[in-house]
Amino acid sequence: MSARLALGLAALAAAAAAPLVAGQHLLTAFIVALHAAYMALAWNVAAGYAGQFSLGHSLFYGIGAYASTMLYLKLGLTPWAGMFAGAGLAGLVGVALALGVYRYNVRGIFFALVTLGAAEVAKGLADNWDWIKGPVGILLTMKSAPGEFFFLRREPYYYVALAMVVALILISLRLERSRLGQHFLAVREDEAAAEASGVDTQRAKTVAIGLSAALTAFAGSFYAQFYLYISPDTVLVFEPQLTMMLGTMVGGAGTALGPVLGSVLFSGLGEALRNLPFENTRPIVIGSKLVYAILLIVILIYLPGGLVTLGRRSRPA
Amino acid sequence: MSALLSVHGVSKRFGGLQALSNVTFGVGHREIVGVIGPNGAGKTTLFNVITGVYAPDGGRVTLGGMDVTGWAPHRICRLGAARTFQIGKPFAALTVLQTVRIGSLNRIADMAGATTHALGVLEQVGLAAKRDVEGRHLTVIERKRLELARALATGPSLLLLDEVAAGLRPPEIQEMIALVRRIAAGGVSVLIIEHVLEAVMRLSARIVVLNYGEVIAEGSPESLVNDARVIEAYLGEAYSLA
Amino acid sequence: MVGLDVVLQALLSGLFMGSVYALIAIGFTLVFGVTDIVNFAHGHLVMAAMFVTYVLFKSARLDPYLSLVVVLPLFFGIGALLYVLVIQRIVDAPHSAHMMVTLGVLLLLENLANLFFGGDLRGVTTTYTTSSLVVGPVAVPLARAGAAVVSLLAVGALAVFLRRTALGKAIRAAANNREGAALVGVDVPRVYLISFSLGTMAAALAGAVIVPFSLVSPFVGHEFILKAFVIAVLGGLGSVGGALAGGLLIGFVEALSSLYISASLGNAIVFAILIAVLLYRPWGIFGQAKV
Repeated sequence: MSARLALGLAALAAAAAAPLVAGQHLLTAFIVALHAAYMALAWNVAAGYAGQFSLGHSLFYGIGAYASTMLYLKLGLTPWAGMFAGAGLAGLVGVALALGVYRYNVRGIFFALVTLGAAEVAKGLADNWDWIKGPVGILLTMKSAPGEFFFLRREPYYYVALAMVVALILISLRLERSRLGQHFLAVREDEAAAEASGVDTQRAKTVAIGLSAALTAFAGSFYAQFYLYISPDTVLVFEPQLTMMLGTMVGGAGTALGPVLGSVLFSGLGEALRNLPFENTRPIVIGSKLVYAILLIVILIYLPGGLVTLGRRSRPA
Repeated sequence: MSALLSVHGVSKRFGGLQALSNVTFGVGHREIVGVIGPNGAGKTTLFNVITGVYAPDGGRVTLGGMDVTGWAPHRICRLGAARTFQIGKPFAALTVLQTVRIGSLNRIADMAGATTHALGVLEQVGLAAKRDVEGRHLTVIERKRLELARALATGPSLLLLDEVAAGLRPPEIQEMIALVRRIAAGGVSVLIIEHVLEAVMRLSARIVVLNYGEVIAEGSPESLVNDARVIEAYLGEAYSLA
Repeated sequence: MVGLDVVLQALLSGLFMGSVYALIAIGFTLVFGVTDIVNFAHGHLVMAAMFVTYVLFKSARLDPYLSLVVVLPLFFGIGALLYVLVIQRIVDAPHSAHMMVTLGVLLLLENLANLFFGGDLRGVTTTYTTSSLVVGPVAVPLARAGAAVVSLLAVGALAVFLRRTALGKAIRAAANNREGAALVGVDVPRVYLISFSLGTMAAALAGAVIVPFSLVSPFVGHEFILKAFVIAVLGGLGSVGGALAGGLLIGFVEALSSLYISASLGNAIVFAILIAVLLYRPWGIFGQAKV
């Protein structure tokens, strides 16, 4: 057994045992961190591996949240299944977006702006769509039914979030070792050289976006089932996008561990600070965000590969 | 002898500039053909049209009997034409092995097989020792070799080399010539753009001379050395011996 | 059926806000055109200037227009500081680094403002905040008109500066071709510094003059940067004239959609236009296609 595998299993064991010692508040912080880590890993598939720097992933997050929610409210479909439907829908939207965009050879900052535009259009439309209650949002009232992805205690949510992160880490590692993953990297590094090497770059980029979109949607569904309130102002705004990006870029884009590291650091810590037993935690929370902002700038200037590069000489993927 | 590559009447215009004008020539099986001409003659544009980076405004490109005019570059690579880029530093963050393996994945679908193949190619070009070095940390000659390896790994029947000798010192140029000869001996046809005349003269069976996007001469290296049009193109009318 | 005078009022409102948007966008597009850097924090620089103006008003009773004497040089300096400390180090980095680092600056500014002032919406009431001049069928709100006038003057001044002065020409040269400009003796690093500082100062000017009629909060920056993106793309990245035209266009679209549909749907339309331009005419509606 290699050292890395042993370390990974030990971390997993520790994570699995956490609910035994952590209270509900701390578990909530862990859940938030794991949720952020998952989102970051999903964005990393398109942005980190394939170099498709999307600013509009909130679109897919929102599709996931609304799809599983509406399917539950209108058809009584359990969100466990609904979230797969949401992922499928988000994947299709992602592919459609990619097909539309890539045939015009839109790259770099222009690509980022198109995706941002798409998310903004979606939010604008959602705010005016009565069927999903528009800006008022949807309050989910669930019976305590594990079969419908709702639990009264934090522990089950924790395990679901943990499972999602572990699954996506494994998927990422598998991707890194696959032909498709190598194609993603080639596209990221130099599209012209990739094409000249036989890589169908349009197809690779489209698959990257579609896959990333579908994976992101699962996070949206989780959000809906955890917070029990969704609205365009919570799931279709820039916040989820910011979370994904910060975690990935600070931790190390293009790796399986980087997004997890970055997200746990930023989101988990922030949530924990918010729950400190002080009178007024507001200055501390905002102060910590200030520190993060400075950290973000410093890391991106001096350690552009992210925190994961601290321990190593070269990038893994 | 049916040609492996046939370029027929190819023209390409960029705004006000006619980059290529009615270019016609061919490359046979197991042949090394050189393309020379002053800067701006359209040599790299010609490569770009042949390999699908640009679609020509007129004319036809045929590879192995198939009309590939306007095909996407990756399809032309699949069919068997691989090219190197002048500015060779494509996959900066990937290791030498990873870079070449991308090429190997063109013909070999599984990662293990591709890795083995890539290692073999690295041996061939003399980069095996640098397999885990990232692209951005290579020297000029190493980058040239890597470009060559990447293209070779795709399993081409036609290799298009764009100035592989540029920026190399004399001993390195000799190495490169020997390497290209070895590759051609293995059954791969080569179309080579070169400014380093020694390299292209010694390697090519035939040379095509471009100037202002037109083919102004074609023939064996010996016959071209004294060709008035070629001399004029390189040195200007004042030096014409005519 | 909406009356003509209501439509005229809306168009006037669009003209006024459009002028201010143009000023905000021009600072942004100037920086992008010259240094190739997308400054996500541009909208938050507007916000920062709004707060400084607010503080000067509340503490020293200084009218926003008068406080420009302080605000403009202050933010030129802040822009220079930001450039030297942060931006300069990522000039040669990929676009993704630009986006993330300037996002970091955005977060820095937002949380600084939030820490010191809190998230409550604040306002400034000057003598002219609610005054209007009735001209025929429309009422001309003086505060907005003043902001528009100043914005247009600033745009004009910037255009003259870029066209007529040696420094302005150096800036345009560097924007056009960095290596070429350096080869003919343009001090490119200095040009970059000045461009960024100018862009920041333009943002600050816009922030100061809208304070008399706007709500001030740490979170208003988001709306400004989104508008700046759209306008800069519509007008052609790097084009000052294009940003003016684009700003006015967006001002009108916004005003008219608030009148006939809803603001959020109007927003969706604006971004749909952005996408269309990025796909079909990435050099902007008012820009020139490059061969």
